[in-house]
Amino acid sequence: MEEVEAFAQVVKKATSEGRSLQLMGGGTKSFLGYVPEGLPVLTTQSYTGVLDYHPAELVVRVKAGTPIGTLKGLLQSEGQMLAFDPPAHGASSTIGGVIAAGLSGSARPYRGAARDHLLGVGMVLHDGAYCEFGGQVMKNVAGYDVSRLVCGAYGTLGLMTDLSLKVVPAPEVEKTIIRECSADQARALIKSLANRVSPLSASCYSGDTLSIRLSGSGLAVKATAKMLEGVEADNSFWGQLDAQTLPAFRNASDIWRLSTDSDEPMFDYDFSMLDWGFAQRWLFDPKSDPRDGYQGSGHWTRVRCDIRCDKSGFQAEAFQSLSKLELALHRRLKSTFDPGGVFNPGRMYRKEGL
Amino acid sequence: MPINNQDFIKRLGAIAGDLITDNERLAVYETDGLTAKKQLPGVVVIPDTVAQVQAIVALCHTYEVPLVARGAGTGLSGGAMPHSEGVLMVMARFNQIVDVDTSTRTATVQPGVTNLAISEAVSSLGLYYAPDPSSQIACTIGGNVAENSGGVHCLKYGLTVHNVKRLKVVLPGGELIVIGGKGYDTPGYDLLALMHGSEGLLGVVVEVVVQLLPKPPEIAVIMAAFSSVVDAANSVSGVLSEGLLPAGLEMMDKLAIQAAEAFVGAGYPEDAAAMLLCELDGSAEELQVLIEAVRTVFKAQHCMTFTVAWEAEERQGLWLGRKAAFPAVGRIAPDYYCMDGTIPRRELANVLQAITDLSQKYELQVANVFHAGDGNLHPLILYDANNSDQLARAEAFGSEVLALCLEKGGTITGEHGVGVEKINEMCLQFDRNELGIFHGIKKAFDDRGILNPGKGIPTLSRCAEFGAMHVHAGEERFPHLDRF
Repeated sequence: MEEVEAFAQVVKKATSEGRSLQLMGGGTKSFLGYVPEGLPVLTTQSYTGVLDYHPAELVVRVKAGTPIGTLKGLLQSEGQMLAFDPPAHGASSTIGGVIAAGLSGSARPYRGAARDHLLGVGMVLHDGAYCEFGGQVMKNVAGYDVSRLVCGAYGTLGLMTDLSLKVVPAPEVEKTIIRECSADQARALIKSLANRVSPLSASCYSGDTLSIRLSGSGLAVKATAKMLEGVEADNSFWGQLDAQTLPAFRNASDIWRLSTDSDEPMFDYDFSMLDWGFAQRWLFDPKSDPRDGYQGSGHWTRVRCDIRCDKSGFQAEAFQSLSKLELALHRRLKSTFDPGGVFNPGRMYRKEGL
Repeated sequence: MPINNQDFIKRLGAIAGDLITDNERLAVYETDGLTAKKQLPGVVVIPDTVAQVQAIVALCHTYEVPLVARGAGTGLSGGAMPHSEGVLMVMARFNQIVDVDTSTRTATVQPGVTNLAISEAVSSLGLYYAPDPSSQIACTIGGNVAENSGGVHCLKYGLTVHNVKRLKVVLPGGELIVIGGKGYDTPGYDLLALMHGSEGLLGVVVEVVVQLLPKPPEIAVIMAAFSSVVDAANSVSGVLSEGLLPAGLEMMDKLAIQAAEAFVGAGYPEDAAAMLLCELDGSAEELQVLIEAVRTVFKAQHCMTFTVAWEAEERQGLWLGRKAAFPAVGRIAPDYYCMDGTIPRRELANVLQAITDLSQKYELQVANVFHAGDGNLHPLILYDANNSDQLARAEAFGSEVLALCLEKGGTITGEHGVGVEKINEMCLQFDRNELGIFHGIKKAFDDRGILNPGKGIPTLSRCAEFGAMHVHAGEERFPHLDRF
């Protein structure tokens, strides 16, 4: 706990001096949202390692700075995994960073989100107090679900120092199948698999090619793979998709994401990639802001806008605006956790300091 | 009539015609599933429309009158216990399934629809709603959201929070808000997760969109008897260590087995010290493999019998005994006190022994029913409420069990909620900073504190009275740091 105490001292000092801090793990997600320049950085990157892991409990309690790769490797050695495919945007990506950003990978529609696997957190509050919410057990309804609230809050509510995650047995077999088909055929095929018990664990449609991942017992994977009549491909595709390192991502300078209903029409957008069973759609280098004139029910995120993209940079907020009621609740929650605005001010909504 | 403000009552009546104000009819609502706690409501109102709910909530907000929303009243922690000077809003008439979408496998339902009714309505489509609390025949989905209810299948399929996509909620000012979206996430803070298990303190749920799952092709339920509780407990850890993830893994001890058997005649092994029910699902071929894997684990723990039920009727018969365990125990004692702690599974055998010891100390019998796969315990302490000494002993016994769960790294409530029942034990689980955050969240939603006051989160002064603020290793964390 010495390290946590050191974090608490830094936070407490910043609060007492009325200064803000930039909270960070491995620093691989600064492209997401707004990062103000010139703030002192408080990183959990050096706070690594497992605090508690009994495989039969299906829970791992880990320090926030633990690299994703290290954690995955440990779980793999026990035949287990994190079911939500935590994306590793770089070698230094930490589990704390993934949970703070609430990011889930390819398995999201089929095995749940990051927050679904978060059982508890330890965090340092604005006044330096260390608090624990949730715990290390599967079922826990004591108090409000603060751990899931902190997941995806981009460090705007407090400094997460340790987290407890549900783990599951790794599938016996995992196979990736690709086949060519139209977008409509792809959507129908994915839905037919999702609407019955099947080993479907990921899907991605791009450039007339549908990629499907099957995970489960050897029997089930074999039978479904046969039915799909496709060609077997490398499983590493999914990790690259989740990390946004596929060529399509690397070659783009302005990347947008639409999270929506899997049934939503394509409208006029030239989506380059559709995963999560068509519920997550990627748009690369659009000519104008795709939010203008959008008629659907989903929400947009400007995921990345690098130096080559529009000079104005993040003129618009990265995340879609909240309704008036939502915004009021967000402001009040923020001021409950962080009345002085010490943690990551404006990371999600710059103008609001949220 | 406890609410003396005639102006308020008049305006309440103008919103919704159906008010109950006479003591005789109010008495129907004096308790929920936690029958030890009774309170006549100030007034009962039964709205028909969302607009009426909004107007009722807004009126209570204006007059600062406490408001408790009630579903079926099956909750076991007193979450729907009325307020003597407040309004009890009964959501029973919101009982329609609004829409079923087979393409996205979602159902849009009103909050008063019962849990089981959802699965029944979509059964012919090959779908079901996974969380299945034992009270599923009566409990409502609105109440399930408020409590983040579990059931026997959450080991594999999750709790309510994992199976709900979107909510319509009336906020304490009367505003209607949609929480959650059409996709798999929403921008901003995860208010959807926050609403789950908030026990009616943050808003009133008026519509729920649930995620439905395809029904598994085949299901098998294994029933196994053990001559010792320790063997059964070790079998639970053994199954999970082998990388098996059953759809359900339940345990009952001798007294619970005998009570259930006497009640429903499920064919349980009455001579066993403990039994396990293990549900597996998948294709027929997969199940053959899984059953043999479970058999190997159970045999290594000396199981006395091992039977597999494949047919729906046979399986339901086995589950019936388990799901009827509470009322079954209710038949062998005048009253029982149901606990709901959760512990790490590896502590199962130790905690069971400790509960046996406490049973002797307090001279009260206890029947144990567990969601063993989740480590969620339901010890049922038997007592007679007409004997005040027994009631006091039962409560003290219960409090010690919860403290034990915390000591073992668990929680005071796995799925029943805090309500009024475990409000004191909240002071054991959380320190003043953590409770401070909870109060802040409440205030962010409900600055006047009108929704379900006195439930869920204890005040700091209450904890001081209870004399047990959470302290680690005999001292507060970082005691040398100043607190703001």
